[in-house]
Amino acid sequence: MTCDRAFETQAYADGELDAVSALAVEQHLETCAECRALHDGIVEMRAALKRDARYYRPAAAFVECIQRDIAREDGHTRRRAPFGSHPFWTGAFGGVAATALAASLALFVMLPSAQDQLASDVEAAHVRSLIGDHLIDVASSNHHVVKPWFAGRADISPPVTDYAAQGFTLVGGRLDYVDGRRAAVLVYRHGAHVVNVFVWKDDGSLGARAKDVNGYNILSWKAGGLFFCAVSDAEAGELRKLSDLIQKNSSN
Amino acid sequence: MDERRRRFEQLVLPHLGAAYNLARWLGGRDAEDVAQDAILRAFRAFDGFRGGDAKAWLFTIVRNCHYTALGRRRKTVALPDEGENDIASDAPDPEVSAIDADRARKLNRVIASLPDEFREALVLREMEDMSYREIGEITGVPIGTVMSRLSRARALLRQSWQAQTKETAP
Repeated sequence: MTCDRAFETQAYADGELDAVSALAVEQHLETCAECRALHDGIVEMRAALKRDARYYRPAAAFVECIQRDIAREDGHTRRRAPFGSHPFWTGAFGGVAATALAASLALFVMLPSAQDQLASDVEAAHVRSLIGDHLIDVASSNHHVVKPWFAGRADISPPVTDYAAQGFTLVGGRLDYVDGRRAAVLVYRHGAHVVNVFVWKDDGSLGARAKDVNGYNILSWKAGGLFFCAVSDAEAGELRKLSDLIQKNSSN
Repeated sequence: MDERRRRFEQLVLPHLGAAYNLARWLGGRDAEDVAQDAILRAFRAFDGFRGGDAKAWLFTIVRNCHYTALGRRRKTVALPDEGENDIASDAPDPEVSAIDADRARKLNRVIASLPDEFREALVLREMEDMSYREIGEITGVPIGTVMSRLSRARALLRQSWQAQTKETAP
């Protein structure tokens, strides 16, 4: 590389230049064969990297382990905060400590009910499925493929239907453990959103409701002896539509 | 769940995959340990996170954890050699032709063989779309150094890539 504008050319190829400097480089490229080759080489190699460079994805079990770590760590710090070296009681009337007090009171008040626990477990399983490489065990939009796949793996047989015409495309299914129970999961795509629908046998311990956890909408309902829980970053109204479709289907 | 953890799970945790990928490209085999260490450190230090790009912030921690672990290992045992079977053992995708798979394998081997500081700059730039400024902050060097590292990385990549493809040309 001998042209003294080579770095500039690279910066141009990396989109690091403002409009005026970019224009100057474009003019330079018209006359300098060396920089033109450099530029084209970068663009070409970028395409090759996009196509072929390996992007390593963490295993689902690892992601799960990290989530547990954080929950544990969170528990430690929260338990420590009021009784540790922090002058909690002495400063209890100060602004900062008042906030801490409010936070620790909220902790007692908001001890999770079974339902809240399930909602946050379902949310965690949803996030895990998106981060890790375990969104789908059986990839198919054909319910004749997905439905038999669950037989023998799950203790229930969930209603499997593709609602592509209504905007919810079935992309597959998987098994997941939530709340210590094995769940059959139907995976739908709705525009840019992924919807996980968890299905268990309805053992009567949980009631139907809607909730949002960490910005994810969660909607649960019962139908035909099954308990359903749909989670997605799609809007609540959209989840409701999918829920209606599935309910209509399971009552037929 | 308290506000702090909720924010962490919203801002930082979604980058766990990227953190793992970076750890994998930086060092290889103990990427899970490094990524785990980094995430927990990030969570403990989260109060000190003053906004900005959470991904770049996490990458800085991943990189520090990687070099800390590397220092520890160097004192005790020799580094395991990053053999090619690491990448060659990837399960083949039946959709991809043998020629395509071979080409991809070679490219990944070439990236893996780049010197550390060049590979890290290249991965941050081309896989993670980090800007020069961000790469400089993550790796603790001035922007000028980022530019020369990227330039060297690309030249080396091109060189070994051409050598590789020539080898197998009929």
